[in-house]
Amino acid sequence: MPDMRFAPPNPIRIADRAAGLNAVSVRSYNERLVLSMLLQHGSTTRFDIGEKTGLSAQTVSVIVRSLEQEGLVTRGEAQRGRMGPPTIPMGLNPEGAYSIGISIGFRTTDIVLIDFVGGVIDSETLRHVSPGADHVHPKLYSTVGTLLAKISKARRRRIAGIGLALPEGFGDTRELATFKERAEADFGLEVFVQNDVTAAANGESLFGVARDLDNYLFFYIGAMVHTRLILNHQIHRSSSTSAFDVGLLHFERALGSNGVSTEDLWRRSEGSPQYATAVERWKADCVALLADKVREARQFVDVGTVVLSSYVPRDLCQSICDDLSSREQGLSAVVGSIHLAPKAVGAASLPYASRFTVAG
Amino acid sequence: MRTVLCFGDSNTHGQIPGRGPLDRFDWSARWPGVMAQALGPGWYVIEEGLSGRTTVRDDPIEGMHKNGRHYLTPCLQSHAPIDVVILMLGTNDLKRRFFQTAAEVAMGVGCLIFDIKDLSPGPGGQVPEILVVAPPPMLDDLREWSGVFEGAPAVSRRLALEFEIQADSNEVHFFDAASVCACDPADGFHLSAEAHRDLGLALAAEVSGIGWAND
Repeated sequence: MPDMRFAPPNPIRIADRAAGLNAVSVRSYNERLVLSMLLQHGSTTRFDIGEKTGLSAQTVSVIVRSLEQEGLVTRGEAQRGRMGPPTIPMGLNPEGAYSIGISIGFRTTDIVLIDFVGGVIDSETLRHVSPGADHVHPKLYSTVGTLLAKISKARRRRIAGIGLALPEGFGDTRELATFKERAEADFGLEVFVQNDVTAAANGESLFGVARDLDNYLFFYIGAMVHTRLILNHQIHRSSSTSAFDVGLLHFERALGSNGVSTEDLWRRSEGSPQYATAVERWKADCVALLADKVREARQFVDVGTVVLSSYVPRDLCQSICDDLSSREQGLSAVVGSIHLAPKAVGAASLPYASRFTVAG
Repeated sequence: MRTVLCFGDSNTHGQIPGRGPLDRFDWSARWPGVMAQALGPGWYVIEEGLSGRTTVRDDPIEGMHKNGRHYLTPCLQSHAPIDVVILMLGTNDLKRRFFQTAAEVAMGVGCLIFDIKDLSPGPGGQVPEILVVAPPPMLDDLREWSGVFEGAPAVSRRLALEFEIQADSNEVHFFDAASVCACDPADGFHLSAEAHRDLGLALAAEVSGIGWAND
């Protein structure tokens, strides 16, 4: 009977270090813990990883080295301190993993390919034949296929999956099931589904302005206005309604221009006093609702920050934030930093959460 | 003040390539000295490099005192408390008289790790940080040493992988010296002054990269 203390070591970790991503089952809880921290906090030192995860320096060393060899983690530029040798920050390798995000909206379906740190590599927009967020666009499958065909083989092996953001009430239709089945069978990519507004909040938490925020109130202005409350990185939604009709549909109705895309409206509003007045009026309605929701939330929890996400023009978002900040004491309202298809980018973060973090 | 113990063989001792065992680089040129200078005044670096030291093997020719396992425990206890133990051994285990595979040599390193953890000579009786350093592979031409090390260069090229597997499964730090230096052609298995400098700087970065609280 051999002494097990000196039995040959199990080389599974190193043997698995070929190109591409390890199987999900191989990724240990501690590896996920380290990756969660890097996804959430960005670049950091091994010391901080140990402090925040409670893992010993030697365990962190082994995990980081393994993740480095797998290409998920890279060393940053050496930072010179006052004395001693420079410290080397560790961060996620942007090219370590990729993900596809899809969001089915009211007028369009957005598809994005992002890297490991949320950078958009490629994107496509499919216009809906008739407005409404209730069906899978017939070209969705082929568009994802085209996007995948454009990327190199090496990158293709590193795609973590497909995140699909669906609006509230989207039916569990046959065409949705077919899309998921075909994507999983033909592309070999798992499809993860999430509510679209929650996905957008997730995106800001992981890749955007909310990265360092533990708690904040999230607003999404689309066809409707939606709210989410984020407490300790957990996204909560109201158990009653969380969609309010002061969004862009309301704005379009006010202009009596149903059916005209909002992009055209923004363009027209420039230089036209009539449209400018309508924008101001809509903005006031919108800010009033947001202020209302902020006060409601603040009755129960101490929220100091509002993150506003929308595809309406950025300066308009900023102006809404400024109005809100000045109305509510001690509140800082900021525009989300994911401007291109925020719901799709958020959806793309889902496969990362599932495959690389402790939340998954 | 933090303490680093450098436990190794002639390449920690600083033996000059192609010369006798009495020819040694100056302190400031040997890798522990280079590392000490790079780490700065907050660190106390102890050199424990013995020519011909093996990991765990009694040497019937050079003597029992070359067995690293016999000396490691008293050495650790003499210098405790120790914050970091650097182990850079393995080349001498490849001598023909021992005839070891790379995996067997790595298991010798595993025994030393086990002994360090068992003794726990870190601050407050804790396990110190342990850094396993794989020596750079031997060159093919070992000059007058080629008989002693027959077949060894090929095996030496597999040491880094086996050492890393051992370090991973024991959850300790690992560094592959071949990533920053190579053996000198003067004898094919010792390090030049330049190699000592590159290795010392790299290991200083590894030691500080472990991460230490400010105190």
